Amino acid sequence: MKKLIAMLLALVMVLGLAACGSSTPTETEAPAATGAAGETQAAANTPAGEGRVYYLNFKPEADAALQELAALYIEQTGVPVKVVTAASGTYSDTLTAEMAKSEAPTVFNIGNMSGLKDWDEYALDLTDTALAGELSTDDFNLYNEAGELKAMGHCYESFGIIVNTALLEKAGHSLEEITNFETLKAVADDIHARSAELGFDAFSASGLDSSSSWRFSGHLANMPLAYEFRDDGVVEQPATITGAYMDNFRSIWDLYITDTSADPKSLSTSTADESKAQFTEGKAVFYQNGTWEYAGLLEAGMNSEDLAMIPIYCGVEGEEEAGLCSGTENCWAVNSQVSEADQQASLDFLYWLVTDEVAAQKMVDTLGALPFKSAPEPTNVFLADGNRMLEEGKYTVAWAFNHTPNVDSWRATVVTALAAYSADPTDANWEQVVSAFVDGWAIEYNMVNG
Amino acid sequence: MKKSTQYSNLSKVMTVLFALLSIAWLIPIFEVVINSFKANSFVNLEPFALPTAESFVGWANYIKGMTFGNYPFFRAAFYSFFITIVSVALILLLCSMSAWYIARVNSTISRVFYYLCLFSMIVPFQMVMFTLTFTADQLDLNTPFTIPVVYLGFGAGLAIFMFLGFVKGLPLEIEEAAAIDGCGPLRTYFNVVLPMLKPTLISVGILELMWVWNDYLLPYLVLDRTKYMTIPILVQYLKGSYGTVDLGATMAVIMMSIIPIIVAYMFCQKHIIKGVAAGAVKG
Amino acid sequence: MAKSKRSVNLVQRPIRRFAPIFILPTFLAFVIGFVWPFLQGIYLSFCSFNTPKDAKWVGFSNYVKAFQDPGFANAFWNTAAFAVVSIILINVVAFFIAFALTQKMRGANLFRTVFFMPNLIGGVVLGYIWSMIFDGILKNYGTYLTANGTYGFWGLVILVAWQQIGYMMIIYIAGLQAISEDMLEAARMDGATGRQTLFQVIIPNVMPSITTCTFLTLTNSFKMFDQNLALTGGLPSVIQDGAKVNITELLALNIYSTYNINKSWHGVAQAKAVIFFILVAVLAISQQAATRRKEVQQ
Repeated sequence: MKKLIAMLLALVMVLGLAACGSSTPTETEAPAATGAAGETQAAANTPAGEGRVYYLNFKPEADAALQELAALYIEQTGVPVKVVTAASGTYSDTLTAEMAKSEAPTVFNIGNMSGLKDWDEYALDLTDTALAGELSTDDFNLYNEAGELKAMGHCYESFGIIVNTALLEKAGHSLEEITNFETLKAVADDIHARSAELGFDAFSASGLDSSSSWRFSGHLANMPLAYEFRDDGVVEQPATITGAYMDNFRSIWDLYITDTSADPKSLSTSTADESKAQFTEGKAVFYQNGTWEYAGLLEAGMNSEDLAMIPIYCGVEGEEEAGLCSGTENCWAVNSQVSEADQQASLDFLYWLVTDEVAAQKMVDTLGALPFKSAPEPTNVFLADGNRMLEEGKYTVAWAFNHTPNVDSWRATVVTALAAYSADPTDANWEQVVSAFVDGWAIEYNMVNG
Repeated sequence: MKKSTQYSNLSKVMTVLFALLSIAWLIPIFEVVINSFKANSFVNLEPFALPTAESFVGWANYIKGMTFGNYPFFRAAFYSFFITIVSVALILLLCSMSAWYIARVNSTISRVFYYLCLFSMIVPFQMVMFTLTFTADQLDLNTPFTIPVVYLGFGAGLAIFMFLGFVKGLPLEIEEAAAIDGCGPLRTYFNVVLPMLKPTLISVGILELMWVWNDYLLPYLVLDRTKYMTIPILVQYLKGSYGTVDLGATMAVIMMSIIPIIVAYMFCQKHIIKGVAAGAVKG
Repeated sequence: MAKSKRSVNLVQRPIRRFAPIFILPTFLAFVIGFVWPFLQGIYLSFCSFNTPKDAKWVGFSNYVKAFQDPGFANAFWNTAAFAVVSIILINVVAFFIAFALTQKMRGANLFRTVFFMPNLIGGVVLGYIWSMIFDGILKNYGTYLTANGTYGFWGLVILVAWQQIGYMMIIYIAGLQAISEDMLEAARMDGATGRQTLFQVIIPNVMPSITTCTFLTLTNSFKMFDQNLALTGGLPSVIQDGAKVNITELLALNIYSTYNINKSWHGVAQAKAVIFFILVAVLAISQQAATRRKEVQQ
């Protein structure tokens, strides 16, 4: 027994020492260490002395495509490109941690003005880069107080209510009927009333689980914010909001949780997958989500001719003229604190992403529309719907939620209040939602800026 | 005579009572087992129902769990195993050596180190977690192959303290005899002292094993999270990740992560329980 | 005297020459893993910083902010309440299970094995398992775990009790088994009732185990993080008196989430960590001092 223990200890000691020894040179990574967490690591054919690219990706759904493109780029140029994707809801956390490290990200995402405030000193001025020269519009960029282009909107998306037009017709309705909140409600109420006979209901579950709640605390909440900011001419992050359109928010939310088969009491644990499944399995006609869902819906077996996207109507005057909500939370920033070679390598990679034929096509397919001159037209019917509405002269609902201060935290409070309200829809509980909205905004603003 | 029958009646009742309590105690684990064989939607709808023909998916969750969350389970398991074994081995060997040194050498260094160790035992991890992350990154201690150094450093206080309690009780005569026989300190230590330390090695080892294996925050903060995950990090990542909350597969991952520990527990139960009892009395 | 001199020559001096082997590696790791981060932590609590490289001295303002934060105060009271409840619950239950298992009972070893088992499972995994169970139960009543602070609080208490009772039970069993059979026999001979035996013989004799377990449950409660994070993550987060509070957050999680707000809160989080350290240290030292006094009295 003693011998056994002694031997074990000796073995373990050798192992331990070997482990310590191998750590001294930085680049002797064991083979098992590479390729983790959806990551692509350059092979050994890295040209010496050149920059590296470390792309900290913000959009989990774009991970696969970016990994593929990174691999392709490595193959073509030999420049080491690493793409890492943060889990949803952890981006700012991951970014903070990664930026403090010696191998910091060279390309990262800034979502909005408040993000730019946090990371301004880490963001390279992109004004005169070749990449900026490729932009077809400045609408989606973020500029700091000095007017420098610090973060570049590289794709834009739209969200609204996705409609299964086949089911809608089966229920005896058509898209043309729906032009504002009243008509949307009439159609949805009718479908809900006949759901037993039809075999499907109006709205898919409005789950408030963390995988799904951003659809409402982010996107749906955009409706009252956008109209308020439009009226007040707000273009920068305001310190306070008034909640002038909260009644409209309540109308649409009530519709979501009433005209559905989902139990409003269990929404807080209902997931995005459940909601999506209800829609793809033909159990719901309406599904609030964005253009990015298109590929996933086709994959789940839906036909593109049965799909359409309509604006979110919430009873605001003149909303017959509304288009989709378009904008972006996806702005590239290049880390100004890494070596110049790394910065240049990063700029080259981004330039390649939007100009190379194969890469740009892939980007469009994954991310929707790209505001770059050489990017191809999207094949996504939702984006096409959006473009059609713009051609008809409808107005774009801006992404007002980009101004949200301390966004994850603000949304968490709103979700808590929404869940409580859904379980017990009283006026008192709605007051809590309004408070989470309006007071929460001021609190978060002070927290971040105070 | 009367007394003993009374005892056995009471003992029968107690046995039944405790049997029921034990079964109740295992329900949460049983829950994980049954849900790991159910399709995701059924886990959500009826978490307590046994699998039915409709909801049963066989090993599908386990197969999915292997690569769930875009990260191979076995890689996380490998890192967890590696970090735990190397860290605990380092702590056992080096801290027992240090404890012996501190016990035998009466010097300023010894005293300073001893008091620092005592002090470190009352410092919560939160006090050093942010700064430890920076330091570890600068010194390349952010990989599974180097993080044992961090564990050694942060765990040294308690381990040395526990070893010291035992080493102080060892008779000096044996070591003197070894010295007279011409043994140098190294041979004395490995041939004479270490074998005598065996019971303490086991109890310290068990405590450190349970700590390192289940530790979440330290590796989460220190490791280069974009490359390396341990099992606890993977589980937390699965919970937080976007749109992919497949509860069935997550339960399968949890099962895979607790099976090895439970098997190990079954085999070394006596040592574990003894180690906990001994360690607690010392600590 | 001569003896100790001999041992100095024979044992101490040669070991001293081997200091680089015996003590240096651990000491270096200790400096890296504890001493330096500790000192730097104290320093940074007086700074505004994103990384230590860009730290700027700001004096006590981080501490002022920390004390003004209602979320921190809420976390403190949560932690205190949680500590009190879990210390009592865990120790009482663990003691009685241990007591029962040390009586003549068939299957006592098997039961002990079962009760200890949850300890082997990590806090994050436990949190995940129990959030599924609690949500599954509460669903039947049309509600859910993070609907209010009460569910989250008691959920955490149940989780932690389930996890730690087995551990404390082991310590109590060891304590109970150390009581000599003679002493119990003597009590029986004197005609002591079961209750008298328990309170006058057994409990005084397992006092060291009771102090150990109280101490362990106290520090465990104060340092609780993983379970808190995985079970509720501090949710629900609500607005109270014009400030935002994560209702079920304990101190350790509050420090962590403060750090993650943004870089202007890094210093405040570090200041909270220092306050937390002082709190834990005071608790530990006073508890140890009390124990020592008691032991001296005995």
